Amino acid sequence: MSYWYSVSAPQDNIAVSTRIRLARNINGIPFPSKMSPEQFKTVNEAVRKAILESSTPFAKTLKYIAMENIPEIERFAMVERHIISHRFASNCQNRAIIISEDESICIMLGEEDHIRVQVLLAGLQFEKAYDIADHIDSLLCGGLDLAFDERIGFLTECPTNLGTGLRSSVMLHLPLIESHGEMSGLADSISKIGLTIRGMYGEGTKALASLYQVSNQITLGISEKNAIDNLKIIASQLIQKEQGYREQLNRIRLEDRCMRSLGVLKNARILTSSEMMSRLSDIKLGLSLGLLECRALPIKLIVEGQPYMLMRKYGEMSPDERDIERANMIRNLL
Amino acid sequence: MLCEKCGKNSATTHIRSVINGKVTEKHLCGYCAANEGYSDIKGNNLSQMLSSMFGDTLSAASNIQLTRCSCCGSTFSDIAESGKCGCPECYTTFYDQLLPYFKRVHGSTKHIGKVPNRAPNTVKQSKDTVEELRSLLSHLVREEKYEQAAVVRDKIKKLEGDAQ
Ligand SMILES: [Zn+2]
Ligand SMILES: [Zn+2]
Repeated sequence: MSYWYSVSAPQDNIAVSTRIRLARNINGIPFPSKMSPEQFKTVNEAVRKAILESSTPFAKTLKYIAMENIPEIERFAMVERHIISHRFASNCQNRAIIISEDESICIMLGEEDHIRVQVLLAGLQFEKAYDIADHIDSLLCGGLDLAFDERIGFLTECPTNLGTGLRSSVMLHLPLIESHGEMSGLADSISKIGLTIRGMYGEGTKALASLYQVSNQITLGISEKNAIDNLKIIASQLIQKEQGYREQLNRIRLEDRCMRSLGVLKNARILTSSEMMSRLSDIKLGLSLGLLECRALPIKLIVEGQPYMLMRKYGEMSPDERDIERANMIRNLL
Repeated sequence: MLCEKCGKNSATTHIRSVINGKVTEKHLCGYCAANEGYSDIKGNNLSQMLSSMFGDTLSAASNIQLTRCSCCGSTFSDIAESGKCGCPECYTTFYDQLLPYFKRVHGSTKHIGKVPNRAPNTVKQSKDTVEELRSLLSHLVREEKYEQAAVVRDKIKKLEGDAQ
């Protein structure tokens, strides 16, 4: 099965993945933080019917799963694969998902809103991702009494999602913009046009593996198309800037850095998750410039080397044991 | 003023929050602010913005304090405290009070995106259904389920006939 992190995709040298998320709610039922177990059942069942019992062909590719039936390690491994949110994995009582086999579609029932439709694809694929999400939305609109106000659009628990309920985002690999120290300046100018950029992994100012997520913040007073177009423009500017810096690089220095990282990954016996990520970031950069060869996709290794993803595959382990298993896994795959 | 988190960039986001009567202030650069989750266009987290601003509204119109949403029972101060509505109906109940905050968060108060199409038997609805059926048809043909495909094709013909 090909997942977003395990396939090559259009323009994925820099743009790693594209995500579209729609927030929807049903009239007459409080938002999930105030819902009773009976109301969860009502919502889950209504959405299940609207989607899985529709005549649309891709209903066949989707599966309804109660979150309580998914073991804890797998739930958090799903967070590491970016399929569900951390809060949804931690607070999963009465919740359910409707998910496609390749995990590109995941509908969370009972996250912050009754319904969160997420489409996640590899590379830069806004149109395709939005088309899929919109198709699911039309099934929801047809089968449910969705909370919508003509003046302020789709109603959501948090007013920051009001209007279209659309959050579109793209994950970018920006090692050189980062090393030029331009991230904070960019964050300022990007926030002025209603977008936001933040590190995908890790906390504070340093984004692990130089992976950044850019997304739209404004959902009221802007159409879905305009919001996505704005994000596309900014994404392509960032990609161009990063590309420009890559071309100006001193190749022998860069080659040295990438080959050193490859050496570590091929030989290390203990590998922490943050070292793995920065080394694989070098490998990804080196691959994009043709400086080295590698039979595994760096992003796939980054995802599969996360703590819960490792435990999902090799069983429950302490952090120290994971660092050893991570080193083994990467060594074998490279 | 420098960002208090990284100490490197100039602080462009200033967050003032009142928690249990204690005022705390944060001064961050755009980057650190985004990382800490203060990522709205004006650099303000909504719930903090609501709780710091609603104080005035609440004293100015004290009768709004007594109003409860008929669906979920939330009061306006519940919403102001959490920054979140209790149910869709809250937006109707407290529309006038909430409007200025939509403006601050989004820079607009008017939805101009997709409108859900829920009136049955409208032209658009039947168009959607035809499109749905068409994609089902091509799927069935691909799977070589010709008998079912023929039924679907007849349905499409009938729907297109009705629309004309
Ligand atoms: Zn800072
Ligand atoms: Zn309510």
